[in-house]
Amino acid sequence: MAFRPDYLVRETGQNLLRNPSLSLATILTVFISLSLMGVALLFQSGIDRLNSVFQDEVEFIVWMDKDAGPVQIELVEDTLDNNLYVREHWYIDKDETWVEFQSYYADRPEILELLTKEQMPTSFQVAPKSSEVQLIEGLREELETVEGVSDVQFASEAIENIARFSRVTSLSMLVAAIAAGLAAALLMYNSIRTAVFARRREIEVMRLVGATKWFIRIPFMLEGLIQGLIGAFLSIFSVFALNQTFDNLFTSFESVTFRDVALPDWQILYIGGWLMLIGALIGAIGAGIAVTRYLDA
Amino acid sequence: MIKLENVSKAYPGQAQAALRDADADIDKGEFVFLVGPSGSGKSTFLRLLNKQEEPDTGRIFVAGKDLGQMSSWKVPLLRRNIGSIFQDFKLLPTKTVAENVAFALEVIGRPRSVIRSQVPAICELVGLGDKMTKYPDQLSGGEQQRVSIARAFVNRPLILLADEPTGNLDPQTSIGIMRLLDRINKTGTTVVMASHDRGIVDTMRKRVIELSNGSIVRDQDRGVYE
Repeated sequence: MAFRPDYLVRETGQNLLRNPSLSLATILTVFISLSLMGVALLFQSGIDRLNSVFQDEVEFIVWMDKDAGPVQIELVEDTLDNNLYVREHWYIDKDETWVEFQSYYADRPEILELLTKEQMPTSFQVAPKSSEVQLIEGLREELETVEGVSDVQFASEAIENIARFSRVTSLSMLVAAIAAGLAAALLMYNSIRTAVFARRREIEVMRLVGATKWFIRIPFMLEGLIQGLIGAFLSIFSVFALNQTFDNLFTSFESVTFRDVALPDWQILYIGGWLMLIGALIGAIGAGIAVTRYLDA
Repeated sequence: MIKLENVSKAYPGQAQAALRDADADIDKGEFVFLVGPSGSGKSTFLRLLNKQEEPDTGRIFVAGKDLGQMSSWKVPLLRRNIGSIFQDFKLLPTKTVAENVAFALEVIGRPRSVIRSQVPAICELVGLGDKMTKYPDQLSGGEQQRVSIARAFVNRPLILLADEPTGNLDPQTSIGIMRLLDRINKTGTTVVMASHDRGIVDTMRKRVIELSNGSIVRDQDRGVYE
């Protein structure tokens, strides 16, 4: 059962060009649904990165002034030691902060050039005994008044809100993406069915002279595969463009934390790989089912 | 070569069976006419032989194989040994004569060298050597049927099934087609032809199996239509 490559190329090409408007509609549907899926994945990954800044139990971070001296640091440490509601705390010195800072901005040497280790703020990561909002509020108020403290970054407020917001949006986007994916698969199914119908005489002859089902099926599956891949390829660009917008937006916030919502390029490629795979599967499987139903009828 | 044992077949939604308790035994190299009015079961008989239909009861053997035991992936291999021709030719209008014939070899994965040598030879055999680049709509009905015979025979099948091949042709053209089928039969190919063309059946004097309402009512060597 050898396939001749010239036969496959000719058949698949003819199928794709036989009904260009239907091919285009299929590709666009795949493009739109996979774009939605890609954006949902983008949000999800962004939030994951955001959460990883705050290690598991750390509820807030106490940032010291850049030029806070040892006395002031000790004062904050005493405050934390003596507070009944603090379970644990870690001091992050300039060295550690600098290492972390460098890894954040690994892909942005121009920022690293502007700063030195001496300019890094030190901080305390604090894990309270309970995550009750009132209690943490109280802790923050107390710490903010201590001399040398520049800011108390509050996980349960900023991060949780954004996480909740993004959970809702990325969930609804995922639902929309799945619905659009289904539409794409159905349209693919219909498009291939139309192609199969246009070639029903040929298929009838093929079956009569003893062509195998796979021989008949594969050019159609290849057609769906190509449509799926083109749609997926286009959707990567829209995900990439959205990520750029995030990047520009959050960079202007001048916040280390929020900058991480935008993903580095390698992670976009990773999402892109998934989109290509999903596009290829939707295309090939949708087409395969459409032909099989016709062959068995 | 072909053997039917108590074969019955009814189509869903139809009160009367298309074929009832049919028994038949056709040897290699025979030429057999299936005769009878429309709806008597001739087409069903043929369609059972290449597994386009399944019998409700009974057993069918083709080329030594029990079709009821045959797994579905082997059906294409069975069909490569059975050529089929039809009243409406079933040619592909977008392909030339040569391409129509080559298509049958192409889709079963024959190499190009085989196609290049076999296609002109078979077109010559059916008398269309000079029309290989013509399209079906540029040919007469008789010529179109010759193309479909070439396509059915190019793979040298053991059996040729013909369902009313002269049904759309005038008597003079039909005689030419029958001569061609006779020649193919002489090469050792078993031919089973459904027909209700009295003139042809009476002239050929071959074995005749008569069907009536799905039952075989006559099986006669060197028979006539009646």
